[in-house]
Amino acid sequence: MDLTLFQFILALFFLTVFFLHLVKKNSEATVLYGFQSLLVVILLFVFYLETNNIYSLFVVILMLLVKVILAPTFIFRLIKRDGLKFSASSFVSTPLALIIVTGLTILAHSSVFSSLGSIVPANQELLSLTLSALFVSLFLIVNRKGAISQIIGVLSLENSIVTFALFAGLEQSAGLQAGILFDIFIWIFIATIFISNIYKHFGTLDVTEMKNLKD
Amino acid sequence: MELILIFAVIIVSAIACLMSKNRIVMEASSVIASLVAFFGSMVIAMKVATVGSYSQWSFFSVDALGAIIMMIVAFVGLAATIYSVRYLREETSKEIIGYKEVKQYFILLNLFLGAMFLASTSSSPIFTWIAIEATTLSTAFLISFYNKPTAMEAAWKYLIINSVGLLLAFFGTLLYFTSFQIGAEAVTWTTLLSNAVNLDPTIAKMAFVFVLVGYGTKVGLAPMHTWLPDAHSKAPVPISALLSGVLLNVAFIAVLRFKAVTDLAVGSEFSQKLLMAFGLLSVLIAVFIIFGQKNYKRLLAYSSIENMGIIALGFGFGGLGVFAAIFHLIYHSLIKSALFLSVGNIFLKYSSTKIINVRGVITALPVTGVLFLTGFFAITGTPPFGIFLTKIFIISAGIQAHPFLGVTTILLTAILFVGFFKHVVAMTFGAKPAEIKTGEISVWLILPPLVLLTVALTLSFYVPQFLLTLINTVVSQY
Repeated sequence: MDLTLFQFILALFFLTVFFLHLVKKNSEATVLYGFQSLLVVILLFVFYLETNNIYSLFVVILMLLVKVILAPTFIFRLIKRDGLKFSASSFVSTPLALIIVTGLTILAHSSVFSSLGSIVPANQELLSLTLSALFVSLFLIVNRKGAISQIIGVLSLENSIVTFALFAGLEQSAGLQAGILFDIFIWIFIATIFISNIYKHFGTLDVTEMKNLKD
Repeated sequence: MELILIFAVIIVSAIACLMSKNRIVMEASSVIASLVAFFGSMVIAMKVATVGSYSQWSFFSVDALGAIIMMIVAFVGLAATIYSVRYLREETSKEIIGYKEVKQYFILLNLFLGAMFLASTSSSPIFTWIAIEATTLSTAFLISFYNKPTAMEAAWKYLIINSVGLLLAFFGTLLYFTSFQIGAEAVTWTTLLSNAVNLDPTIAKMAFVFVLVGYGTKVGLAPMHTWLPDAHSKAPVPISALLSGVLLNVAFIAVLRFKAVTDLAVGSEFSQKLLMAFGLLSVLIAVFIIFGQKNYKRLLAYSSIENMGIIALGFGFGGLGVFAAIFHLIYHSLIKSALFLSVGNIFLKYSSTKIINVRGVITALPVTGVLFLTGFFAITGTPPFGIFLTKIFIISAGIQAHPFLGVTTILLTAILFVGFFKHVVAMTFGAKPAEIKTGEISVWLILPPLVLLTVALTLSFYVPQFLLTLINTVVSQY
């Protein structure tokens, strides 16, 4: 395995999650997600070249189709059709969000999670970086008020888990991965329909405006 | 063979609903599919009780716990499907829904039941995850069924919170696979258990935390419960019955299976402490919110959170608590589903889910009133219903091992009874509004909850041998 190549790809992967906290336009967030997914596809393809397992190539193609082409297309169509140019704001200010992102990155690299990094000792750094991406994606879902940002956060979280599994040697059989991708595809399809309906009902994608249900 | 038959009829029924333009075909195919699934599940459960397990290809394997959950899915599923036929006809006649919604409903109902059968019978932890995720996807549109802003809000919350929870559960699941060599063959629940000794204890603990938080979200354990009252109150009542009475248990079995693996790797104390903490918090939150509740469907939803908390406490306390928790799980499924179906009749009559708008149910709907009142006594643990004994056993197991937790649970359940009782009495008795006519709507809206409650009451006194065998097997494993 070319460690430098993997480090470079993973650094780019982490940067996409980081920039998802900074972008204000839904289209920019969608492009970032598409690029992030492309990085995961490249990683999977490199792993395929090492194993030469034809079923792995099938998963690579399926992932390219679902995450790099279909998911961004669905979201772009939604943005264009309903004119959802700008994402709603976040719960915490950008400087504070960056401090939290830094804190989460440090936490992922700390001794608390060192045992996860040592699953494959040769990949310790890479695993810690994917764990950081996982935490930062989770924070994106919690921090953003916009429905599109939230679904991109969920999808980014899923990408982080896939990347972690790849470097920890925990990737599943092609059949199961295809099943998971099918679930993700349906999820994206349903989530975009819901976003459209939310916009119709509430006139905004700011989820904090949805406060009809009280205890 | 039976399992394949169950999946086949459910898929055929979903396709029939999709293709057909005839309402009767949709209703009949769904009822027949649930009926076949019920008998198939009973046969499988009896086989499991006799020979220990049931396997179909390498994808499906039913153990004692899976068999119990499968029977619950099948039985409550059948009751909910039969109830749905008349309930949706009433809603159509009131012009609340149209033909398009009925079609959508029956397709999704079949898919929802199919996904729950898959989750409880899958031999692979990843396949179980896929199936539980599929339950989220199939029910999201059922929660937003009435296409109102509140329903949309509930469905969005449900989709996002559960998806995040399930992704965390997926991450936890993958961490368990570190007990295998890289590139190992497909992992099953059985191989996961046999490899548990190879798990790094720290990773096993982290994995269980992720799994408990992840699947615990679907179970409705506090503090990840926030989606549950919204979703259960906005969905059509037969779906609420399935969500509360069945789906929570399906997610719970995933937690229990991982608990067994964790216990082998690090001992049982770690998972038990976590289950006690989440269980007590769930009971605590539910008890205090029930007191000030204004909506009767939300009241029942919070009661589900409380009961899931009690079940978690039972598994947390261990010993006799585990035995009682399994029974509690069965009783809760039957009684809570019956309660949801009863309030469906109340909703059809009063056209409101607000407690303040519902008075004199016993006069307006005499049979439903009795069912609702009986269901309340049953769910809060009043004798002679089984929940009385299961609560006593769980609490006594708690008092022996953790006196403070045991006593706190007694106090909380007593407070809950008072809070719940206040609302039920207000709804059941008193003078009914003048514009509400007296009389039940249809016998088909009474039979399903009546049968569910009757079975719950019967199981309080008599447990068939095969079911007892299954329960004893589960107790020995968890």
